Amino acid sequence: METLLGIKGRDFVMLAADTTHARSIVVMKHDQNKIHQVSDNLMISTMGESGDTEQFTEFISKNIALYKMRNGYDLSPRSAAHFTRKNLAEYLRSRTPYQVFMFVAGYDAQEGPELVFIDYLANAKALNHGGHGYGSMFTASIFDRYWHPNITQDEAYEVLKKCVQEIQKRLIVNLNNFNVMVVDPNGVKKLDTIMASSLAA
Amino acid sequence: MALAEICKISNASYMRPTAWATDDVNELKSYASNFENPYTLAAPPFANPVENLNKIQANADKTGIKIEFDHGTTTLGFKFKGGVILAVDSRATGGQYIGSQSMKKIVEINDFLLGTLAGGAADCVYWDRVLSKECRLHELRNKERISVAAASKIMANIAHEYKGMGLSMGMMLAGYDKRGPGLYYVDSEGSRTAGNLFSVGSGSIFAYGVLDSGYDYNLEDEAAQELGRRAIYHATHRDAYSGGIIRVYHMTKNGFKVISNEDCEMLHYKYQAEKAAQ
Amino acid sequence: MSILAYNGGCVVAMRGKDCVAIATDHRFGIQAQTISTDFKKVFNIAPRMFLGLTGLQTDILTVRDRVMFRKNLYETRENREMAPKPFSAMLSSFLYEHRFGPYFIEPVIAGLDPKTFEPFICNMDLIGCPNVPDDFVVAGTCAEQLYGMCETLWRPNLEPDDLFEVISQSMLNAFDRDAMSGWGATVYVIEKDKITERTLKTRMD
Repeated sequence: METLLGIKGRDFVMLAADTTHARSIVVMKHDQNKIHQVSDNLMISTMGESGDTEQFTEFISKNIALYKMRNGYDLSPRSAAHFTRKNLAEYLRSRTPYQVFMFVAGYDAQEGPELVFIDYLANAKALNHGGHGYGSMFTASIFDRYWHPNITQDEAYEVLKKCVQEIQKRLIVNLNNFNVMVVDPNGVKKLDTIMASSLAA
Repeated sequence: MALAEICKISNASYMRPTAWATDDVNELKSYASNFENPYTLAAPPFANPVENLNKIQANADKTGIKIEFDHGTTTLGFKFKGGVILAVDSRATGGQYIGSQSMKKIVEINDFLLGTLAGGAADCVYWDRVLSKECRLHELRNKERISVAAASKIMANIAHEYKGMGLSMGMMLAGYDKRGPGLYYVDSEGSRTAGNLFSVGSGSIFAYGVLDSGYDYNLEDEAAQELGRRAIYHATHRDAYSGGIIRVYHMTKNGFKVISNEDCEMLHYKYQAEKAAQ
Repeated sequence: MSILAYNGGCVVAMRGKDCVAIATDHRFGIQAQTISTDFKKVFNIAPRMFLGLTGLQTDILTVRDRVMFRKNLYETRENREMAPKPFSAMLSSFLYEHRFGPYFIEPVIAGLDPKTFEPFICNMDLIGCPNVPDDFVVAGTCAEQLYGMCETLWRPNLEPDDLFEVISQSMLNAFDRDAMSGWGATVYVIEKDKITERTLKTRMD
């Protein structure tokens, strides 16, 4: 019942993720961060089978860091997404597949912004906007309705707020808080968390 | 047959088809079953249908006995200051196959009562027709139109009667009566609720997104109609099982009005042009 | 639902007079939900050869990458361009390599021989059984509808422009009867001296 969201503009990508960590019928934690900064211009948001998410994200992040140490420059977001997908696809046909859903988001001076949707089967697609989890089904049409090619960061944040509002209204599970991070030419930055209480105000 | 009655020739044997010649009334009825009474459906050809029907459906992959009804829909309805808006798509699918792109998923029960269809197409069409009859009978007996509440109650009673037998319906009833605008949701589980805003069908989750973020009770007529149309359009775009023509109906105190019947393809390129101009 | 229909999509290829055409839809979905409407399932792998892949998207990407790798290896070793015929043989054995845990894809190949410019079309099942007819090949969630359209519209020796018209109408009308395909289409017509790519305006529902 977790939810990840992502939205891309001309020169930025913004990710949002809920902060609940649930096990069986219990919510274990209310401030679990699911968006990880991987390098100066790259972040990955992950959800799925607990344990798999941490292990796989860490495996990818460390390998991307290793690539930079070896070569002296960063993997571009597109290449990072390809690397992630390839690993996930190889594990899929092993005895230990990872059950993870993720967004790889980054900004590159040459290639521009990149938002890549990857699901547990290693289906992968670069998108302008998208989501994972049940919550994303309610937000798909909100993105379609309000996204446009020249969307600014402020507008994107407002669209995400609309999405969170809708999730809190219609999804049977209570997802109170959503962390938001953005990557643009200035690097990765954390924005204000979207909270049920701040939406009401 | 009115003339035959007056001339008293209706009893003549040449006026009767063979089945009617029999004296056995019960045998006669078994051939005419729901022709006379819509509530007498043929019982399933096995014992304890509530339990066994589900078993048969569950084993469909092994037995090959699988019933694929026409399915998949987006419908919505909401109340606002100007009355009730209903909007629906027109696609009927059997599995992945698109059976029709021009289904009429809004049933005009009478000038002041509309019903929407979602779920099993045949179930909805049949029981809406039965409901139309009941509503008309109510009108003739009581010399006034049936209330939305009463009509929806009839529907819910029917649904509850067949609960667990595999009926699949999710319908909204919208109308205007003495109490003002009315909107009810009734489904095959037997539930019935009044409300301000509903969306039903496989595409409803997508329609809700647009609907909730744009809804306001004080919308003007035109804006409300456009909101309904937009919500269905976005659902048809995202949901594989919705599409075709988008129909928008508006119920006011003067009865219902058909606002538009527009093709999704045309709407898509219109909205896209608007977005590009933004 | 079959795993081959999990993401939806379709591809068709046709032979014409000294030309071939291949067409793809644009849908990438997860069951009923459409995720993206710009996923082309046809890839340009040689100057006059295209490979179309339908089925599970993750395997479309994997097979595309792995087959490209093998093709490049062949071309560096042999120092010549790979022709459609050996390419299809290579793809067939690649798919059969995974006989007991197959990639869930159905490939379609369309191209002209680099030397003789002889048109070539071919499709396979998911474990590499090749089929090389002289009219048309189809794959994807609306394969039945595509067969119906192609059987009625296709004629021998179509000129490039007529071939474009026939393949476009076949694909458009086939996926308009399929819930899992559509949302845009692209057609490539391959001739000796040029490749024409055209995007079709389609229903988006």
